Amino acid sequence: MIRDISIGQFFPGNSVIHKLDPRAKILLTLLFIISLFLCKNFFSLLLMLVFAVVCVLLSRISVNLIWKSLKAIIFIVLFTSALQIIYNDKGDVLWKPSETGRFCITTGGVYSAVFLSVRIIALILFTSLLTYTTSPTMLTDAIERLLSPLKIFKVKVHSLAMMMTIALRFIPILIREIDIIMSAQKARGAKLDNGKLGERLKAMVSVFIPLFVSAFRRAAELALAMECRCYSDGTQRTRMNRMRFTWRDIVSFITVGILIFAVVFTSFYPLWDIFLFQAVM
Amino acid sequence: MEHNPLISFDHVWFSYDNEEPSPVYAVKDLSFEVNKGEFLVILGHNGSGKSTIAKLANSIFLPVKGKVTVDGMDTSAPENELEVRKRVGVVFQNPDNQIVASIVEEDVAFGPENLGIAPNEIRERVDDALKAVDMYDRRFHETYRLSGGQKQRVAIAGMIAMRPDCIVLDEPTAMLDPQGRSDVLNTIVSLNKEHGVTIVLITHFMEEAVGADRVMVVNNAEIAAEGTPREIFSRRELLQACGLELPDTAKLCEALKKEGIVMRDDILTEQELIDEIVRIKRA
Repeated sequence: MIRDISIGQFFPGNSVIHKLDPRAKILLTLLFIISLFLCKNFFSLLLMLVFAVVCVLLSRISVNLIWKSLKAIIFIVLFTSALQIIYNDKGDVLWKPSETGRFCITTGGVYSAVFLSVRIIALILFTSLLTYTTSPTMLTDAIERLLSPLKIFKVKVHSLAMMMTIALRFIPILIREIDIIMSAQKARGAKLDNGKLGERLKAMVSVFIPLFVSAFRRAAELALAMECRCYSDGTQRTRMNRMRFTWRDIVSFITVGILIFAVVFTSFYPLWDIFLFQAVM
Repeated sequence: MEHNPLISFDHVWFSYDNEEPSPVYAVKDLSFEVNKGEFLVILGHNGSGKSTIAKLANSIFLPVKGKVTVDGMDTSAPENELEVRKRVGVVFQNPDNQIVASIVEEDVAFGPENLGIAPNEIRERVDDALKAVDMYDRRFHETYRLSGGQKQRVAIAGMIAMRPDCIVLDEPTAMLDPQGRSDVLNTIVSLNKEHGVTIVLITHFMEEAVGADRVMVVNNAEIAAEGTPREIFSRRELLQACGLELPDTAKLCEALKKEGIVMRDDILTEQELIDEIVRIKRA
């Protein structure tokens, strides 16, 4: 079950999106998230969604996979929508189950539910694209480069980036290890699946202690192997894949710039809202 | 031939509990040499001290007494550490705990990147190393999706890319299935024969010693025997005393001899056994 998680995985490819500089991709993702929260009406939001979909299509990541990552957040979408519909009482009343009760469904509630859902979907579509199209090492290298100004404050940026690379690398290994330990403890009679909540929590201790012991042992062995491969503090390290800003990155920044301008413009001059709902939020 | 050892152990003693009044030595008064271009197999059962030898060879461990030199450099001197590790690479048993990056080629690049080599050359070395272990087609794969044998070959490629003079492999096949084991072994042999890399293979599988230039048997922290595979394999009593299990061919020879069949003493490979049986049949 836990192995099905596709968020954070990398799918090698040769698309335009894959070829973008990872630093540019991180910055563009941040810009996208910011402008997503600048959206005040449906037109600007739709613009963002269309942009996200176009990027997904450009990346040539299989639709199946995207669908999988969207399915993972469907609960969050439904939950926030339900909250909006129940608690938002602005706008016209659409349905009121009883005259005396306070509960009612309003246009404002439905509107903000749909608005939020689209916003979350666009957010997941675009941000998952970052990890799908960038290898973890490139991603952490890019973070290292972007954070390198912090070196002035004596922050060990390189060590942080190396820790992230290793953490990402060991996630699938530790997940498999949990599976193995859980099976081993079940075979010894641990009540992991049934029994009272208290019993199950106690049984989980018997999973986590061996997991930690093994993680420490792995860490010690990995440190040894890294030493054998001449790893030191990273001061004289070079990189196989050089990062270079190209015309592609410039084009993508201009595109996102235009998008943000359009979003801000339509939010302040809501001409198009004659045809669409005016934002109630 | 000029006597030019790459690694030399000179009366080396090593103990894990050095502070104790009467320490237990993992390696006792060990002296041997590894020559350039050689394929040396060190055989020993669990706890014989053979893994300690691997870590002594590239200054992970420093001898308590005696001296280890690599290319003439004393491993105990801190200033030699980096140069020693550039010359002697060590591959360990568990590939999962040696791979640093999530993508095959990025992991192979890790070593050369640490050495501060120019990007173009790293690319070249990584491609060569991956071709040498026959993993070039999978260079973009995620490391955790590979089989055990493939992971171990990636770990070996990570060492090759650093272009060491010698690769020490500490039980590289112990955690692998038969297919993975034979793939890794073929890779090791081809590295020695085709790429001229000096190999020290530390193992407890006797059949892995068949193709070696020289075999050293380690028992109770000391060298029990040394010689060509043919010489070593014929000393059955000694091998059994050292807790080593004979390969299937040797076992079959033993059984045939017990039945009263007179045959050669120094049979090593399956083919030799077949030839010998055919010869006896015809005689």
